[in-house]
Amino acid sequence: MHLATEPTAAGTAPPSSRLRVRLEQWNRKLHYYAGLFLLFFLWLFAATGLVLNHPTWSFADSWSRRTDTNSEHAITAPGPGSNGDLAQARDIMRQLGIQGEILWTTTRTNAGRFDFQVRRPGHFYFLKADLGNGRVSLRHSRVNPLGVMKALHVFSGVQLDDPRQSRDWGLTTVWAFSMDAVAAGLVFMVLSSLYMWWELPGKRLAGGIVLGLGTLVCGLFCLGLRWMY
Amino acid sequence: MRRCLYGLTRDLHLYLGLFGSPFVLVFAVSVFFLVHAWLPRFGSPTPNVRVVPGLAQAGALRTLSGRPLIDALGPILERAGVRGEVGFVSHLVKDDALLIPVTVPGRATTVTLPLAGGDATIVTREEGFASALATLHRSPGEHAPAIRMNWFWMKAWRGLADTTAYLVLLISVSGIGLWYVLRAERRVGFALIIAGAFSFFGLAYALSH
Repeated sequence: MHLATEPTAAGTAPPSSRLRVRLEQWNRKLHYYAGLFLLFFLWLFAATGLVLNHPTWSFADSWSRRTDTNSEHAITAPGPGSNGDLAQARDIMRQLGIQGEILWTTTRTNAGRFDFQVRRPGHFYFLKADLGNGRVSLRHSRVNPLGVMKALHVFSGVQLDDPRQSRDWGLTTVWAFSMDAVAAGLVFMVLSSLYMWWELPGKRLAGGIVLGLGTLVCGLFCLGLRWMY
Repeated sequence: MRRCLYGLTRDLHLYLGLFGSPFVLVFAVSVFFLVHAWLPRFGSPTPNVRVVPGLAQAGALRTLSGRPLIDALGPILERAGVRGEVGFVSHLVKDDALLIPVTVPGRATTVTLPLAGGDATIVTREEGFASALATLHRSPGEHAPAIRMNWFWMKAWRGLADTTAYLVLLISVSGIGLWYVLRAERRVGFALIIAGAFSFFGLAYALSH
């Protein structure tokens, strides 16, 4: 029996067997290549996943340790070319030199008042614009590196339960597709590991029991709870 | 000794990985739904509405909030046959009623409970498998820790989600050990680690500065 991480020789086996050996070799290689490339991404999402699951851990509370800076700025009211809230928000951000993802948190009731937030990992900008008088009050909150890491975990620019939010910053889109790539890499690593396990006949029974147990417990939460309750 | 350690590491990597793989799949697949705010739905999303009369004299609930309110709602929801994780309860001042969201992965129930007595309205929406995965990925989450995990199964899920995170960390470390043994792959491996680090820190820097 060969070891899971030891190279196997193609030798002088028949073509179909050689193909299978090559498939095994490349499956194994790609498994650890993907894992090594994604290492820092995996550590980020695993570590921050733990922290997000335990908001009462005091060391992880980055928000109460934030630094706030308040300032007032004169702006030129967005011109007629800036139609809509998004264009007006971008115009104000350009004037203030702010970059990030726009977050709509309030409904606009007065054409002269315009409140919105801008976020990017580590930075929270709260803007209250008085368009009539050409003034903006800005609160800029900065959080520590752990706060940046937590923000990276959830930073996608959209929310499942709030259709108003959409991605409006190019870097958010890049990060969102990076998260997709990490997820796709993880799915590949799981599938490739199942193939490697199956190629070890001596470990099929024990592995099958462990995999079955994991699947059963996980399936209980994904499907079973709805049947039970 | 080294061979024994190698064998132990390899077996741990294999078996812990196999146990954790369904959970890793849940978290990985749900990323696509969460990152793109898109949930594939199969079947009718039509909600099921039912009315439960005389559920409770709920006036005493007026004075409660947070966890005590959730705890007080437990027996009332039990009588209404509604089970699951209770979310943030809103007080509808105009209707003098409580709006109680209750979640089971893949199902969302909203109970409107009049505080002055009367019929409670229960709206149940089957949201499907994808929604269940997204709910599990986000549970319990960082918000409102005082009221979260008021249902046994959510507490259990938090334990499993934590276990998955620890397993990923452990398996990644054991994976590094298993790769490092392969001398012929070290150069490529180091190049990939550096490329991954460059991508990760480059993106993190660009986003946060």
